[in-house]
Amino acid sequence: MSEIYDIGYRHYDGPRLGRGYSTRALTLHSLRGIFGLGRTARSKIMPFALFVIMLLPAVVSIAMMALIKQRGMPYSSFAVTMQAVVAIFLASQSPTVVAPDLRFRVLPLYLSRPISIMEYVAAKVVAMTVALFLLVAVPLTLIYAGELLIDMDGPTVPPQTKEYLAAMAVALLLALLLAAFGLAISSLTPRRGLGVASVIALYLLSSASVPVIYATLASADNEEGAAWAWLLNPFWLVDAVQVWLFNTPAAVPEGGYPPGPAPAIITVVLIAVGLGALALRYRKAAAR
Amino acid sequence: MNTVVAGITYRALLGRRRIFLLLLLPLALIGLAVMLRLFGGDDPRSAVLLMEKFAIGTMLPLLGLIAGTGVIAPEIDDGTIIHLISKPISRPVIATTKFLVAASLLAVFAAVPTYFSAWLLVANEEGLAVGFAVGSLFAGIAYAAVFLLLGIVTRHAVTIGIIYALLWETLVGGFVQGAQKFSIQQWAESIADSISDSPFLQTQVTLGFAVPALVIVTVVAVYWSGRRLRAFSLTGDE
Repeated sequence: MSEIYDIGYRHYDGPRLGRGYSTRALTLHSLRGIFGLGRTARSKIMPFALFVIMLLPAVVSIAMMALIKQRGMPYSSFAVTMQAVVAIFLASQSPTVVAPDLRFRVLPLYLSRPISIMEYVAAKVVAMTVALFLLVAVPLTLIYAGELLIDMDGPTVPPQTKEYLAAMAVALLLALLLAAFGLAISSLTPRRGLGVASVIALYLLSSASVPVIYATLASADNEEGAAWAWLLNPFWLVDAVQVWLFNTPAAVPEGGYPPGPAPAIITVVLIAVGLGALALRYRKAAAR
Repeated sequence: MNTVVAGITYRALLGRRRIFLLLLLPLALIGLAVMLRLFGGDDPRSAVLLMEKFAIGTMLPLLGLIAGTGVIAPEIDDGTIIHLISKPISRPVIATTKFLVAASLLAVFAAVPTYFSAWLLVANEEGLAVGFAVGSLFAGIAYAAVFLLLGIVTRHAVTIGIIYALLWETLVGGFVQGAQKFSIQQWAESIADSISDSPFLQTQVTLGFAVPALVIVTVVAVYWSGRRLRAFSLTGDE
């Protein structure tokens, strides 16, 4: 004779928070992970050290405005000038967003929740985009706040609000482009070290070849072709979009960008390619 | 030198996706050299520019990083190093073997393409091709040793290596003259300068400083890697 015991397990009949909530939770968790919050002290060192390095030019700019009444770095060229630091941040932190989940094969655990693979990818991309945006936007905002407080030009001249807002908008575009590509590349390998090396290799490949290609084309009197060489580097590509949209001075050592909306179209296409590659990669990874 | 350990290390580095990274950069260098030739930039000045900026300045430290940390860091990450170091093989021998593997890979993937692309541009004029090939060979050996040590010492070897190669050697070296003395890239260029007699190549570091520095850095890094591996403790991830 058998008997089924009711051992007192209770059903959950509280409110169900749904997919939106779990996607938001995953986004926040990934964003905290990028800065090492909620992890060991050792994984906080790298992101915060890079963040402090990004703040240094802002502090110098404010000091210059206050002491010698001169503008330091213009808003429009901030991201281009600091590109090495942003690239290192992207390379060192984007594998921490995607690699552990692939390495420890916990993707099925995420997918057993109401979250779908597209929402998982979207959460990761949003987290990386926000992190990169913060990296560029916080120093910019600091400079702007300093400018408002110091009021260098006197009350008659308005502050450079337009330049500041343009730089912020472009920083968001840059963050999205870098996040899409950084995550797509580092999701190809479950190993963190290899992911870091791949991302930085691609960045260096694009940035180190630009001066060589530019110098060659310029010396062959092909100024128009030479202008396109700058677009090989993502930072200059997005700066070209800024020049086209907001008419800011180009932040290149010599020459200029190709005129017209071409850089903006290339940027949008590249973002789509990066996101598409990421989606395809995860569709495959989830099937395993 | 232990041939079995060397064989396993070669297979781990060349049998996986890492080989694409090892191939990508030399192919880009040769592609740029071909492009320069097609657009009529095959003069010694642009050859020196390509070698300094791309071959020595970008490709060599990156390949050094990938090969140098790649011979040991993945094994430490996985914990499979425990199988290797529990065998009755002396730990300094393991470190030396891994160093030799990384150095040989750098010779094949960095020094040979450097020679080839310089030769494409200027043939054997002014000894540029030989100079830069020898320079990148010796600097590659030093990079292999330094990054092997870094891979044993820390789990963030790749990031720290990038910061050294990008920020210290390129940015800080550009502003602070003294920092250039302690840069493997500058030592490589000084060797290249002493072999070639091109007027476009100028270096800040004398050969009398560069060669002893390269030898000391390599020997100390390999020796210290062996010491670290002797008292090695595996720690948890993250």
